[in-house]
Order: sequence, then structure tokens, then C-alpha cells
Amino acid sequence: MKRRTLLSVAIAAVAVTAMATASIAADWPKRPINLVVPYKAGGGTDAYARAISAAAEGILDVPVVVVNKPGSGGLNGANAVVGARPDGYTMMMTSGGSFLLSTMTRDTDIDALESFDFVAQVGQLQTSLMVPVNSPFQSVQDVIDAAKANPGQLRWAHSGRGGFHHVGGMGFLANNDIEAQDVPFKGGGPTRAALIGEQADFGFLGVQQLAGFEEQLRALAVNSQDRDGIMSEVPAFGELGVPFAAVSSPVIVFAPKGTPADVVAAMEAALEQIAAKPEFAELLASRGTGPVYQNGADAKAALSAMKEDATPLVQSLTN
Amino acid sequence: MEIFPALLSVITDPTLLFAIVLAAVVGMIVGATPGLTASAAIAMLLPITFYMSPLFALAFLYVIGKSGRYGGSIAAILFNTPGTAASAATQIDGYPLARAGKAGKAMRVATISSIIGDLMGDILLVIGVGFIAAIALKLGPPETFAIYFAAFVVIGSVIGNSIIKGLASALMGILIAMVGLDPISSEERYTFGSFELSNGIGLVPLMIGVFVLGEVFAQLETRRKITGETEENASTADGSTLTWEEYKPCLPHALRGGFIGAGIGVLPGLGSAIAAFISYGEGKRRAKNPEMWGKGALEGVAAPEAANNAVSGPSMAPLLTLGIPGSTIGAILLGVFLIHGIQVGPTLFLTDKELVYKLFACGMLGILAYGLIGYFGATQVARLILKIPTNVLYPLIFLTSFVAAYSARGSMFDVTVMTVAGFAGWLMRKYDFNVAAFVISFVLAKGAEETFRQSLLMSEGGALVFVERPIALAFLLVGLAAMGFRIRGIIKERRIAQGELGDA
Repeated sequence: MKRRTLLSVAIAAVAVTAMATASIAADWPKRPINLVVPYKAGGGTDAYARAISAAAEGILDVPVVVVNKPGSGGLNGANAVVGARPDGYTMMMTSGGSFLLSTMTRDTDIDALESFDFVAQVGQLQTSLMVPVNSPFQSVQDVIDAAKANPGQLRWAHSGRGGFHHVGGMGFLANNDIEAQDVPFKGGGPTRAALIGEQADFGFLGVQQLAGFEEQLRALAVNSQDRDGIMSEVPAFGELGVPFAAVSSPVIVFAPKGTPADVVAAMEAALEQIAAKPEFAELLASRGTGPVYQNGADAKAALSAMKEDATPLVQSLTN
Repeated sequence: MEIFPALLSVITDPTLLFAIVLAAVVGMIVGATPGLTASAAIAMLLPITFYMSPLFALAFLYVIGKSGRYGGSIAAILFNTPGTAASAATQIDGYPLARAGKAGKAMRVATISSIIGDLMGDILLVIGVGFIAAIALKLGPPETFAIYFAAFVVIGSVIGNSIIKGLASALMGILIAMVGLDPISSEERYTFGSFELSNGIGLVPLMIGVFVLGEVFAQLETRRKITGETEENASTADGSTLTWEEYKPCLPHALRGGFIGAGIGVLPGLGSAIAAFISYGEGKRRAKNPEMWGKGALEGVAAPEAANNAVSGPSMAPLLTLGIPGSTIGAILLGVFLIHGIQVGPTLFLTDKELVYKLFACGMLGILAYGLIGYFGATQVARLILKIPTNVLYPLIFLTSFVAAYSARGSMFDVTVMTVAGFAGWLMRKYDFNVAAFVISFVLAKGAEETFRQSLLMSEGGALVFVERPIALAFLLVGLAAMGFRIRGIIKERRIAQGELGDA
């Protein structure tokens, strides 16, 4: 079976190379496409990239190779891609919210909205308010009441200052006029473990992190207007009437500025097909996430809106 | 006892057995090549495994990790350059043994100790994986900091002749670890406005530089001075055999190392290198012949080798039960689970129990495979490598270190870091600074700082949090006690040395 796929890929590659056409898009893709993920293997964004790579078979004629370039809050990989040859063979898949925030808080020339071409959005990561399963807090209101009764006494965990979970949590605190001390951990996995071990009173972490941990954690609310498509049993701040900051992280594929428009369009179309494939949804379902497709223009508009929401929070962070 | 049906089904699968043996060979060669690490090899081979079935892929990479940890001892003993960080402690006694013509003996001790440690680790993993998960969850930042604190004591046991220079090396390691983003506030420290430095100094390039390149430079210098034959590495016939009488004193050290390694392995993020150093320090402290340690004691090879391999199995416990990788290899394996759609976490033992135990079974067979190949083949491999003239071998090592530094993250900056670290390592050797203390404190400082400051945030800046929590307090006391013993030991050694001088 694997032989046959290899063979068909080889044949397809030869066939594509044989067709000498004037247009680049008709020629593209003829080599494997490197999809740079600026985070370590094993994270939420990485899971999306791996699923794209697996589900691309049959839609793109060449393999999609996931390249992890972690470091500097996702800017390391972005720096590598922004300077890559814009030929459609190097693209970046990143967590849009974290990427946007790190370009705002770090000293960098990269502008999340201007330095890249938006190809498409294929998923969505949302942060949520969680407590250990034995916590006395049964609802969001319990947390708010406890924080009001003892200002600054509660401890809350998140996956690193400046990330979208942190900014989302700060937005929740600021909008509800409460104070609590944050305890940053390195990444989502350690944050979840700390919360399970009751090292903090509550935490802001990806709602998908609940999948498989329902007996250790309780999600009180997801940080959005409406419920998450996959973790649909968790209520949303919007329906509870709790004010929040609309910070989330759309998983977006970016291409280096200057990539031919027809190549970007072809990739956009391919991603739309991949996102619609049942295999893609299945691969993601076990991780508690799912496909959320938006075309490049819509993804850009959504990210610009988020920038406006996040600007005051980021300013309070840097001061 | 799910392990027995799993073992049976693995043994009856010839292709899987072939994969295990192949992985054992690959891991050994990679581990034995200075500058190439098992995690680098796994990262490079990862794309190939996408075409394999989940068990096949996981078993292949898991066994490479095990056998690579073992293979590192070969390079440590022969070239005084640890093939992997985990075998840095092995070289302290392994290399003097090789210089005394006992390379073969040392390698056999390393092989047997690795097997003992590795099997102990795996058996403990199979028995205690559920229990381990429950404990690991209870350890918060204060407990983890206390463990780091206890681990810092090991620097004392590798500190060498000059206490001042040893401590200075350790401080330098801590200082270098500070470069990059502050772990709590994410602000830049010591980056001098450089984007690359904001990422911190990578462990892999630093280690390749200090250990491998530094050693090549040092060799370059000594060989220029001493022209003529350098025969000291040649094994004598007597030096390559090992009798039971010789291994007998090593056995308690190997067993203790196995327990230390297994204990460290369960704790995420500490890793085999630290296990090896702690085991070495403990071994030396309890040894009947501490004066021989560091000058070529077989026990000094057994203790760290058993410990660094014992880490392998138990480090899978936090990975499988919590999804926290305890090592680089663990992080990559996590990716393999995910790509094959297997949810890692407490539910793994409900949904994919069979797969997990088959993986454990593959690991045990992998230990046997590298053990057999290593016991009968390592001396041959060593002889072969020793036959290669140094003017061919060292340039080759020089070259691979550049490739390895680049390939780990695909970064040219890492190559620069490695080169600078290489010169630093050479100068440190030249002026008798302590390279091991430098690297250990570099590794420990990051985690220690992070957990210390997390603890302070949890307790509103009060240090009482470390005393109020019993597990944290216990580890702090262990650390303090070990420190006290070390100081007493050093004073005693001094007194004996002075006493002898007085008699003369």
C-alpha cells in the first residue's frame, strides 16, 4: 500500500514535470511543499499541520512536509519564511492569535497583517476558563465572586505571558474588574498538568485540552461569543453574559509576500478541499479540535479585528 | 500482566523484530559517533516513519533512543567526547580506562550496566506506570524546584581539583542559561538586541561545541606538541576481557544507578544526563575506593551508564499518562502518537492499552538486541575506530559536529554558537576549568529558575512555600544533607593530602 502511494506520487511528479507550461500555477506543485510550523512538534498548531499533511494525499500531487522551527514565540519560524523564496514551496502555518500578539509585544520588523500573503484559515484554537475537577468553583460567577472577595489572592495558570491564553485571561479579569495573580508555565501541556495537580485556582488554556481529561478538569466557559464547534458542551462567555476580550487563535496558512497570485489561489483551493475531507476532521477530532475554513481575505479581516480588540490589553502588558 | 501476551505477539512478528534489530544498530552507531545524538537521528528519521504503522514507527524510534543512549558510552570511553549528553559522566572514568589500555573492559562494563539499568527502568515502568502518573501530578513548582536544588549538589561531585574554578564554571553555565527570554515575564535578557539571542542559547550546539569541538581543538594542540606515536589508546589483550570478579563490585553501583535513573526519569524535564551525574556522585560517595574514581574505576563507568539508560523507560510514564515529554526523544515520540491519531493522556490506557504494552515489549527486546550486539561487537567496532588514523578521525568528527549543530534546528546561528562554544571549551580545558560543571549548571539553571519564580508567584513572594509542602521540604533536606556530606568529604580529602605532605 505504501509502495503504491510512493509510486503514484513519483509518477505524478514525473507527469507534472513533463508538462511544460508557461504558467507557474499550472506547473505548481512539482516539488514537496514545506509547511513551516513555528512551534514544537506536539502542540495544537502542529497537530493541524500534521493532519493537513496526512489529508493532502489525493488533493495535492506532492507531499506536504511539516518543518518545525520553534522559538521566540513563533517569530523564529516566521522570520525564516518571510525571507524564503516566494515560489509556493515554503509556507507557514501558525496560530494566528499568538503570532499577532508576539509581533505586537516583541521587537520585530514582521507585521502579522502586512508581511505575508494570507492563504487560508483551516482551524481555530480557543482559550477557555478551566478549574481542577475538585475545585469549589462550579461556575464563572463563583470565580468572579471569590476574586472579588479576596482581590489578588487567587492564582491562575496560563501557558506564557504575551500568548493569546494570557491575553484572553487578562481580558476576562479586566472586563470583570477583578484581580488575580498569574503563574506562567511553558506551553499548554505543563499548564494543564499544573491545573490537574491543583497548583493554581483556575487557568486559561485551550478548550481542546479538555478532550480526554474530563475527569480531571472542568471547563467553565470558552472565551468567545458562541460555543466551540467541537467541545460544544462547554458554555461560552457570550451566552453567560460575562464580558470578555475576543482573543482567539485562528490557524492560518501564510505564504511569503510576492508568491504568485495563482499559486496562492491554487493552495487556497487545495486547503478548502482538504479542510472538507472527513479524514481531516477525524484526525483532529481526537485532539478536540476541528476544521474551521475561511478564505484568505476573510481570515485577514478577522485578524485585523482581533488586533483592535487586543491593542489596549497589550499596552497594559508592556507598561 | 499485559506485558506477556504483548511480548509473545511481538516475538512472533518477524518484520517487527527486524525493525527492532535495525533500530538497535542504527542507535548504537549514531550514539557512538561523537557529535551525533539519538535525538538528532530520530528527528531526521521521523518523516520516514510516517509511512509505517503506529507500532512499527514508535518501536523503531523508541529503540533508537535506548540504543543511542548506550552507544554514547562508546565514544565517551574511546575519544573522551560523549556521543550524547547522557554519557558525559561516563567519560570521567571511561577515558582514563581507555588510556590505560582497558577500553574493551570499560565498554563491556558499560554494556552490562546499560542493560541492567534499562531493564530495571522498563520493568519499573510496566509495574508502576499508573502509580507514577498519580504521583507526578502532585508535584507542583515548589516540589520541582526542590528536586532541581537537590540535583545542583551533583556539581560538587564532579568539581575536580580546584573548587574556585569549579564554582566559577558552574556560575558561567548559569549566566549563559540566563540569555534569552525571561521564563516568567517573557522579557529579553542579555540579548544585546540580537533576535537570535532572544531565543536563548541552544543546549545541543553548546554541548557539541564544548564537548566535541573543544576536545578536537585540545587534541590538535597536544598532538602538535607531542610528535610521534601515540599508543596510549591501544587495547591490550588483557584489557578487553571482563571477568565476573571484575564486574562484581560494579553490580551494586549499576543497581543503585538503575533506581536513581528510574526515579529521575519519572520527573519530566530532568533527563538522562542529570541521572548519570547524580548516580556518579552517589556512587563515588558510597564507593569503597573513592580515590580511584576519576582515574579509571570500572565502577565509575557502571554507575552513570546504568542510570542514563534507566531513564528511558520511566520517562515514558509522564509522556503517556500526562502528555508531558520528559526528554527531546519523548517530545518527538509524542508527535508520532499524534500523527497516527492516538490521544496521549490518562485515557490512553483505556483506548490503546494493547499498543502501549506492545511498545514496552519492543523496548525490552530492543535492550536485548543492543546488549548482544554491543557485548560482542563493541570491541570490534572500537578496534575498527581505533585503527582509523587520528588525522582522518578528528577531521571527520570536526565535520559531523558542524552538520549535527546545523541539522538539529536548521539554524546557522546554532553553528556560530557551537563554534564559539568550541573555543570556550578548549580554553576551559587548557586552564583547568570544569566543563562538566559548566554544562550541568547550564541545564539545571533554566528549570530551577522557572520553578523557583513560579513558586514565589504562588506564595506571594514568600519562601515558606518550600517548607510548608512536605515533598518539597524532603527534597530540600536531601539536597542540604548531600551538600554537607560533600563539604565534609572535601575537607577530609584536603586533610589527608596535607597530612601526607607533612609526613614526607
